[in-house]
Amino acid sequence: MEIQTSRFGLLEVDEQRILNFPSGLLGFPSHKRFALIQTGSEKCFFWLQCADEPNLAFVVADPSIFFKDYDVPLREETLLDLNLTDVSFAQVLVVCNKVDQWLTGNLLGPLVINAANRRAQQIVLTEKKWTTRQPLMRLQSDLPLAKSA
Amino acid sequence: MLVLSRQRSETIMIGDDIEVTVVDIRGDKVRLGITAPREVSVHRKEVYDAIRRENRAAAQVKPEDLPAIGKPGPKLVDGSAPEAKKAKPDT
Repeated sequence: MEIQTSRFGLLEVDEQRILNFPSGLLGFPSHKRFALIQTGSEKCFFWLQCADEPNLAFVVADPSIFFKDYDVPLREETLLDLNLTDVSFAQVLVVCNKVDQWLTGNLLGPLVINAANRRAQQIVLTEKKWTTRQPLMRLQSDLPLAKSA
Repeated sequence: MLVLSRQRSETIMIGDDIEVTVVDIRGDKVRLGITAPREVSVHRKEVYDAIRRENRAAAQVKPEDLPAIGKPGPKLVDGSAPEAKKAKPDT
């Protein structure tokens, strides 16, 4: 299928590879279909492009690259919502933002994806160990923070 | 807004299947117990608002803001990030 995007023009995406967020993302409840698009050089960042709204896209990242001790407890209802019978299919991404010269990740509200059926959901962690603006890397230096951690 | 007075261990019902119980009261802190169907998500409002606000801010990011990350490469990903962090069940 073809996806119109305001950032990248027209993209060709295999329809079997669309992620379905039945509840959308928080603040975007009506946008449910997204394509995960690899970025040019980096392998740890992706664009999560809405398939139905050209202007809606997020940078997302694999948080484990930056925070080795980050994990996402999955509650029973999340397993049921995603039809996640085998947790080895669960994958976690975080939405990224640019705050001043930092790229930050929303580790308090991670995205959980069932790679087996491509259902996905943004969940809210109850533990307050992580923030919505956890610094990932300084944009000027391009050096990932966690390398020094 | 409906305002009700409740004492410790008293409950209010919201609809047929949501119960909110005052578990404990200490000073200016109230502990609530909530029983709700699994399709009803329960969050602290400030956390929910913070994530919603952050999503809206993150949706404004443009490729030119992030020269180190940039635009899509020639290959599209299959929806499963190759080395994505494995989640673990909550035990």
